[in-house]
Amino acid sequence: MPESLVIETADLRKHFGQVEGLRGLDLQVPAGSIHGFLGRNGAGKTTTLKILLGMMRPTGGSAQVFGMAADRPDSSVEIRRRTGFVSEDKDLYEYMTVEQMIRFTAAFYPRWRSDLEQRYRRSFDLPPDREVKALSRGMRTKLALLLALCRGAELLILDEPTSGLDPAATEEVLQALVAHVASEEMTVFFSSHQIAEVEQIADRVTIIDHGQAVITGALEDLRQKYRRVQLVFDGDAPQIVFHAAGIVRVERNGRTLTVVSSAGSEGIIEETGAFNPVSVDVLPVTLKEIFLETVLEEN
Amino acid sequence: MLWYKCWLETRWRFLIGLAVLACSAAGVVLFWPKLMELLPLASSIDVGGEIGRRIKESVEVSREYRGYIWSQWFGEKATELGTLAAVVLGVGGLLSRPSALFTLSLPISRNRLFATRAAAGIAELLVLSLVPSLFIPLLSPAVGKSYGIGDAMVHSVCLFIGAGVFFSLALLLSTVFTDLWRPLLIALLAAVALGLSEQLVRDLHGYGLFRVMRAEAYFRKGELPWQGLLACAAASAAMLYGAAINLARRDF
Repeated sequence: MPESLVIETADLRKHFGQVEGLRGLDLQVPAGSIHGFLGRNGAGKTTTLKILLGMMRPTGGSAQVFGMAADRPDSSVEIRRRTGFVSEDKDLYEYMTVEQMIRFTAAFYPRWRSDLEQRYRRSFDLPPDREVKALSRGMRTKLALLLALCRGAELLILDEPTSGLDPAATEEVLQALVAHVASEEMTVFFSSHQIAEVEQIADRVTIIDHGQAVITGALEDLRQKYRRVQLVFDGDAPQIVFHAAGIVRVERNGRTLTVVSSAGSEGIIEETGAFNPVSVDVLPVTLKEIFLETVLEEN
Repeated sequence: MLWYKCWLETRWRFLIGLAVLACSAAGVVLFWPKLMELLPLASSIDVGGEIGRRIKESVEVSREYRGYIWSQWFGEKATELGTLAAVVLGVGGLLSRPSALFTLSLPISRNRLFATRAAAGIAELLVLSLVPSLFIPLLSPAVGKSYGIGDAMVHSVCLFIGAGVFFSLALLLSTVFTDLWRPLLIALLAAVALGLSEQLVRDLHGYGLFRVMRAEAYFRKGELPWQGLLACAAASAAMLYGAAINLARRDF
């Protein structure tokens, strides 16, 4: 595995009886990136994260973190020593207080960052003597984030970090995350089905659907490559069989022909030139549209 | 810190168990004078059959203080309450949500996690077996009697090793089911079934797990039930090993 990749999976498979949770997932997360892992509910996001952390064993393929096999118990312990994790349900010990939770977690990490702990205690305003079971959803998320960020980890794996939070709490958590990553050298791999939050903080994205990666790359590259070409004709839009690479979807509606491409607009414009369109508009495509186009195409 | 976590998870079960067992042991000792008053009345009880035979046997054994302590405490209450405490101490703490994923995200192996949980439970079970039984020699002078610490220790060790089987069974079941109730109910049902079968099948009675816990051979002949103790220890070890394997293989 190249030095620059923190996470790499190849043909990763996971079966739950007859159900295929992962169907040959290929994933690469470069060091230093904030990598969004987008997918619908049940697409295989949480399963992937659990395999990376050794909580689940793959049925086939390989998963490596820091160049170590995630399914080997000894290397899995080392992976977790260098990784911070926040689960979707923010699983913490209900019977412990905030203070006990912090002291308990800190004991497992020799590189525990007391300076960050003090900073986040203040900024998150966590009541030290309150039991976890008495914390609000937002407070619990902040505590889980503190416990993950202060581990001195090189990799942060977050499973739906803002699920169940109101918009204000979501913004607070995302801001804290971005500020932390800006000041520390680390890689963040986070799953979400909130496209807006991926657009807000990620620089790379992988879209997973039915257990397979359907799109992966730098967010900026995706924005550059994906184009919606809207052509208007004098009469009804012609039926054109496109040969250009990267055609995602073609839609005819009266005089209008809309083509979505993942490889720019040049090939489409060239191929439609012979049909003399009245007007040609090339429009950018948002991540939400890319996601929907891809997932709809897969279905 | 894993010890601390185990302690926080089991402390109330342990402390309640300790209080109940200690009170029960103290109650047995302090009831001795009252029993002496009631014992002459027992000879007038005329019940036939197996139940009558057992009542007479119990009355005969209880005429002497050592026999009374054995029949009321080590042979009955300590065995029953010890079994219940062992099962209650054995359930939970490994797969139960909502904290399992957080625990598994820590840089510790599942074997270490299991070993700590098992060791903490065994240590608590040892305290529950020893401390209430030591109340017997300590409180006996209060009723004008004495009871050997050595005898109490031997009975406690037999109780501990026997109850360890139920603890191990509960822990094994806790690696199969994610909730608390199924391991608890299945282990308790197993204990009840075993107890009934020992009562009903007289051939089995001589080799039963509860007979080992009661240490009847030690009380009657001064002999330790070595075979039974070794069998219990082996069964516990096998179930703990199975639980560790089960936990290591499990997906979360």
